[in-house]
Amino acid sequence: MKYELVAGFETHIELGTDTKIFCSCSTEFGGEPNSHCCPVCIGLPGTLPKLNKKVVEYGIMAGLATNCEIANVSKMDRKNYCYPDLPKAYQISQLYMPLCNRGYVELSNGRKIRIHHIHIEEDAGKLIHNHGDTYVDYNRGGVPLIEIVSEPDIRSVEEAREYVEKLQQIMRYIGISDCRMQEGSMRCDVNISVRPEGSQELGTRTEIKNMNSITFITKAMEYEYERQVDLIENGGQVVQETLRYDDATNTTSSMRSKEDAHDYRYFRDPDLVTICVTDEEIQEIKNKLPELPQKKCRRYIEEFGVPENDAFLLTKYRNISEYFDKAIEGLKKPRTVSNFIIGQIFRILQTEEDKEAFDIKVTPGQLNELCKLLEAGKIQNNLAKSTLDKMLESGKPYSEYISEEDMAGLDEGFVDELCRQAIEANPKAVEQFKAGKEKAIMAVMGYVMKNSKGKANAQDVLAKIKAMIG
Amino acid sequence: MGYIEKIQSMLTHGEITCVELTKKYLNAIETANSQLNAYVKITPETALDTAKKVDEKIARGESLLPLEGVPMTLKDNISTCGIETTCCSKILSGYTPIYDAKVWEILKAQNAVLLGKTNMDEFAMGSSSETSCFGGAANPFNTDHVSGGSSGGVASAVSADIAVFGLGSDTGGSIRQPASFCGIVGLKPTYGAVSRYGLIAYASSLDQIGPITKTVEDASVVYDAISIKDGNDSTSVGSKEKTFDTLDSDIKGLKIGIAREYLEGIRDDVKEAVLKAAKKYEEMGAEIVYFDFPALKYALPVYYILACAEASSNLGRYDGIRFGYKTEHYNGTHDMICKTRSEGFGEEVKRRILLGTYVLSAGYYDAYYKKAQNLRGTIIKAFDDVFKDVDVILAPTVPMTAFKKGQATSDPVETYLTDICTVPINIAGLPSVSLPCGFNSKGMPIGMQIIGGKFNEAKILNAAYKYEQACPENFKDTKWGVKL
Amino acid sequence: MITREDVENIAILSKLFVPEDEMDSLTKSMQEIVSFADTINNADTEGIEFDNINNLSNVFREDTVKESLPSKDILKNAPEQAEDHFLVRNHA
Repeated sequence: MKYELVAGFETHIELGTDTKIFCSCSTEFGGEPNSHCCPVCIGLPGTLPKLNKKVVEYGIMAGLATNCEIANVSKMDRKNYCYPDLPKAYQISQLYMPLCNRGYVELSNGRKIRIHHIHIEEDAGKLIHNHGDTYVDYNRGGVPLIEIVSEPDIRSVEEAREYVEKLQQIMRYIGISDCRMQEGSMRCDVNISVRPEGSQELGTRTEIKNMNSITFITKAMEYEYERQVDLIENGGQVVQETLRYDDATNTTSSMRSKEDAHDYRYFRDPDLVTICVTDEEIQEIKNKLPELPQKKCRRYIEEFGVPENDAFLLTKYRNISEYFDKAIEGLKKPRTVSNFIIGQIFRILQTEEDKEAFDIKVTPGQLNELCKLLEAGKIQNNLAKSTLDKMLESGKPYSEYISEEDMAGLDEGFVDELCRQAIEANPKAVEQFKAGKEKAIMAVMGYVMKNSKGKANAQDVLAKIKAMIG
Repeated sequence: MGYIEKIQSMLTHGEITCVELTKKYLNAIETANSQLNAYVKITPETALDTAKKVDEKIARGESLLPLEGVPMTLKDNISTCGIETTCCSKILSGYTPIYDAKVWEILKAQNAVLLGKTNMDEFAMGSSSETSCFGGAANPFNTDHVSGGSSGGVASAVSADIAVFGLGSDTGGSIRQPASFCGIVGLKPTYGAVSRYGLIAYASSLDQIGPITKTVEDASVVYDAISIKDGNDSTSVGSKEKTFDTLDSDIKGLKIGIAREYLEGIRDDVKEAVLKAAKKYEEMGAEIVYFDFPALKYALPVYYILACAEASSNLGRYDGIRFGYKTEHYNGTHDMICKTRSEGFGEEVKRRILLGTYVLSAGYYDAYYKKAQNLRGTIIKAFDDVFKDVDVILAPTVPMTAFKKGQATSDPVETYLTDICTVPINIAGLPSVSLPCGFNSKGMPIGMQIIGGKFNEAKILNAAYKYEQACPENFKDTKWGVKL
Repeated sequence: MITREDVENIAILSKLFVPEDEMDSLTKSMQEIVSFADTINNADTEGIEFDNINNLSNVFREDTVKESLPSKDILKNAPEQAEDHFLVRNHA
């Protein structure tokens, strides 16, 4: 029998606010242990939380960017569980009335992964285990998070990968998180179950906790899918449990023990008041949102005629698309710019990180000027390319490399003369061309281009030669 | 004249220096505390340092801030930076806060003279101060009796004149009940009037800090000083007006409500004293209106469900990792946390944590917590309706007078019942002032409370002040402490 | 009716150990308290939604960094610490 994979994601994303969610300590990553702490974020008796306004704003942005309804009224709840990394023995989170509800993320195959809700909450501290002893650092305690809870709509490992990448891309675009999985600023819990293909019922699910790499996620899902299918095929049953993925052995194992009997006893946090957002405020935030990657990609294809794959690459990272948007200002053919970015600029940006940072010496304005020369026919493509390479190295404008003379264009008589010379110098090629071998004319053209130092317009030259040969 | 005004007048007129005055109080504490057990920590250095500063200020001819130079005390659940704060629990033994509670920050800035921290029921859970890990505080009127709770230490100290005033906290009556037992004045402000920042939480939606004093005027002065909107506390509102300016306003035509249910199950001597006070008010031109208040019968269970639920969550953080007591022998983190908590918390605290965990746990949340939360709404609405017809409500503070030591702890439910008159006020977040209205045949004080609408502290203190002026015989000194 | 098993379960959730010989008396005392709480079951009213006492909303803090406390202050009350961390040894 064939089995279908069914998965849902709970994605934790650390927000890029300057301060923690309930106190004014810095959220900066790293730092000496327990150096970004105060009485509030280590939960000293008598301290009280004070909600960071920006966290609400960022949460709403995340909701809008994933097509959620934003709640006009939402509230903070306490999730009670005792663990050394959680200073108050409860996490302030949202259960009953979260900030955003009912959204979706659309995948490239057209399927919509529904989002059940998005809530805001605080992160826990960090535990370091050493020979059984536990060292606790609360720097990360109280860093704001959003948790994006999807419906179990994911049907394959590929969809899972795309879903996570899409979330990452969207959150980076709207600028609320760097979503660096290796630093833990984006982490996923995956609920996974299997069912016979065609079945509408959901199987018993397991939850794989806290994965911080897309590779781990896909490997863990593949492993867990196989494990569950094997179990069922051998007459066993999947037990609903929480699992940990071990990347060293590429296996999952149960996290459950009697000690963590979980009953979170959620209730409204009496230390915090209601969050009210008006439709006007939501609209205001909506107006400030940048154009989202999916929409932008479509626009590049439809409006500018950028090939689909190029448009995807241009919109993958916000820095690139912003650069592109600036560099095309006033140009008739934006494709010139996209060709330069993908053909030449990407050559010096080897890694994904480099591409994301898009830290290059040529400003969009400088590239724009160069493209304008090209469009005006003042220079030819080859010269533009070689000039751009030089500019990328030095950061200097094109004027350093292209002289007035280069741009002056060629005297018509001179080009005519060159064409005549070329025909004379390549009688064989001319014969062949006349005999119907179209390509032979390239040799004649090459002569003209070479002797004009590439400045002649190839189209013009071709036309002239053809006319002369008659 | 209030004691605060009197002391400041003595200081500014050079009748006594602040250092001399402070020493008088410190000496009196030394004499009285072995029998009263009101203080659990005495802070002579802090007190004398502050007193010196005050004397220097007077010497420079500067005028005094409202609480400057006044010897006072804080309940031991109010955080004081650098001064041990234990909630009278073993689990906080040795804990020294690294920040100040907002109220202490305010008082400190005014150079109020902190004599020490006072006794209380462990984590403010109790009605006699006897759940304190230091043992209970005695009643200055008769040391065989309790001072009440949970702010029993503050009440004992103020009643015995070993502090001019003190700040307590009131979650279900913990300011008013001990004030009533000790024959003094206790004000539980409107929820949100005084910042809770730095008050070690028992039940966050019910807790409120307030003054315990010997006179209504003093309560007014202290309240006016501490009722400031605080950015550290999201539920903080502050007060809308100074209560002091209207203390002596005429109460002719004031409509005073009495709930019939409030007089049921009340000891006769208490009922008699309260009704006598009502008569006195009528003589002063107020109008007494009786009304029915059926929602009252749900107040106690609603209170215990909500308070314990919040407490079970608030007290989760005592795990032996960041502060306080930690067990000596254990095997693994989980074992350490459970042993620390089991050894560090007393019986009553554990009982309330368990009850709170129960009412929040899966399967019971709707029947208990949610239902109680909705009934809270019902009770609030009922009070709102009452205040459409009356200005203030008059009621007994406690159904009885101070009980003998050891009586409170035997039966938890029966002990909970003594809170019947005070808890409805916390549920509705209202202000209420308790003041003495007589004595029983054994000479133990009887208290009554005047309850107002939200942020109507001025009105209830005005009514209380008028009564105090009319019946000074109910405000008696004890044999202890400093006589000014 | 709250059972001995319920009490065992909530003790685990509460991170409290109850000695075996106290279990019965604790269960009994919990039963009394719970049956006292049960009186609200008879409340004839469904009740009115309660939000917060003063119906406050939107109390926020601006996203401006204030200096944290020195880690020696943060660790000041720690029963045990090492290398600027709170420390929980595995055994003691």
